[in-house]
Amino acid sequence: MTAVSSPAPARQRTPVRRRAQKRVGTLGRNIGIGVALFFALSPLYWMVTTSLKTDLEATRQDPSLWPEELTASNYHELINGNLPFGSFALNSIITALAAAVIGMVLSALGGYALSRGTFRLREPISYLVLIAQMLPLVVLLGPLYLLLLNAKLVNTLPGLVVGYISFAVPFGMWLMKGFFDAVPREVEEAARVDGYPRWQILFRVVLPLTIPGLLTTGTFVFIESWNNLIYPLTLINTMDKQTLPGGLILSFTGQFKTDWAGMMAASCVTTIPLLVAFFAIQRSMVRGLTAGAVAGE
Amino acid sequence: MSGASSTRRFSRKRGPEHRPWLDWMVLPGLVAVGLVIAYPVVRTFQLATTDYNALSGMDPRPVGAENFQKLVDDPIFWEALRNTAVYTFGSVAVSALLGVLLALLTENLVGRSRILKTLLLTPWAVPFVVVAFLFRYMFDEQTGVVNAVLLQTGVIDEAVPWLVSSTWALPAVVAANVWTQTPFFFLVFSAALAAVPNEVIEAARVDRTRGWTMAYRIKLPYLRNAALVASLLMVISNFNDFAKIWAMTEGGPGYASTTFVVWVYRLAFTSFDLGYSSAIGVVWLVLLMVFAIAYVRLLRREA
Repeated sequence: MTAVSSPAPARQRTPVRRRAQKRVGTLGRNIGIGVALFFALSPLYWMVTTSLKTDLEATRQDPSLWPEELTASNYHELINGNLPFGSFALNSIITALAAAVIGMVLSALGGYALSRGTFRLREPISYLVLIAQMLPLVVLLGPLYLLLLNAKLVNTLPGLVVGYISFAVPFGMWLMKGFFDAVPREVEEAARVDGYPRWQILFRVVLPLTIPGLLTTGTFVFIESWNNLIYPLTLINTMDKQTLPGGLILSFTGQFKTDWAGMMAASCVTTIPLLVAFFAIQRSMVRGLTAGAVAGE
Repeated sequence: MSGASSTRRFSRKRGPEHRPWLDWMVLPGLVAVGLVIAYPVVRTFQLATTDYNALSGMDPRPVGAENFQKLVDDPIFWEALRNTAVYTFGSVAVSALLGVLLALLTENLVGRSRILKTLLLTPWAVPFVVVAFLFRYMFDEQTGVVNAVLLQTGVIDEAVPWLVSSTWALPAVVAANVWTQTPFFFLVFSAALAAVPNEVIEAARVDRTRGWTMAYRIKLPYLRNAALVASLLMVISNFNDFAKIWAMTEGGPGYASTTFVVWVYRLAFTSFDLGYSSAIGVVWLVLLMVFAIAYVRLLRREA
């Protein structure tokens, strides 16, 4: 570590003092990182350990750092209890995957057209798409509800997916436009000179180059759908069609006594798929999100 | 720039048949956006000028600007506006600051210790509802670990009812929000720091610039753009945040943590007052457009 920040000239004057300063600096930095790690991870530690406690222990006034009586009963309860946790999870997976796939297809098509198209409104439409993803979902929700009501899609999973499309497509199109923009035009030019027909250039030359982008888009839509609470709360009104966020809110809150340990077990299970998705795409996602704000990335 | 000119040359050379099917590929996406976004927006503007309760079974009755009149006189409107500002700017300011700090602290981590960076990103990957549940539990008056720790260390003398107190509910929600979104800023700033030109740092080092002076005078100016774009993006996303607030406090107690989103949701889906809630939506869209346009201009300037 220190080797990186100590160039040769630093050794010339008062080497002892400088080294002492550096040691204090390193110590300060390590303490800083330690504190940050504590705040970042201790809530998660708390979540996991609480999920392994008995209900009684989880509601004690002097909380125990490690479960005194280690138990998996909260997880058993999730699967076998009267909470339809399995069906929440299944609905979440189905709708989030459907939104991700639809989002990927529409975004790949639209993003390519926005990146390479020749129509006059290309730029205004691009920025409209960018702005569309910033609109508050809740404002759209009233009219969207009425629309879905007319289409007889309220309280159905396809209806929920239609809702998810409202953030999946604008965001995905903008993201994919960025990824297509990054493919050098010379690549296409070369393929054209080689006599490839146009559609083959897209599917056999350009698209393979943007696979990481496409996966990022899909994963991102999956994450957003997995997180979304407002659509399931409004567009779904029976428990058997609920997703994880909506279902957990409806079943764990508003009661007289809260089952904290069970809630933490449900939280752990809900977190795992997202944790995997996040670490799969974290780097390319930040690039997509900030759309070139970070020079040289 | 070179891209634009090469497109033009490209299409001119190819004459009138300039790949129209390519242009049409944008259509499915646009239709989807039109259906689920453009139509609801137009309808919101239209409903805003009517009196319409979705449960009444009666058609919307046009009332002109009455809803907006009512809005200005509504004390809840001003409370929600204040809460939205506190939630949005409070969260962004604190997380951005922490993000820069973390990026600077971990900048020189190499080799195996880079795993620490990944660990610092974990809160970002936690679903919003889980974040809300977790902080609800930790901030609980009776069984929460926050009160337990504060009582034991003598910081407070009696348990604070965090989420059911009108003073503390909003700050507690902001704390949860800061916890989840600091990693975003951390990641953006780390990337931006890595992009600071080496020559600049070397030159400063030759001039005996070290430690915090180096960070403050030399590196931070390079982070300005990243900070602007990332903050604006997060301002917009916090402006629209629903899940965390609703799952933690449902906007309560009273209206103490009710932001615009929560208020519109309450009006539209618990009292079904779609006319009034649409009027709020319109005001909000206008406010949001200010930030959205600022964001677009920022991006365009860079492009």
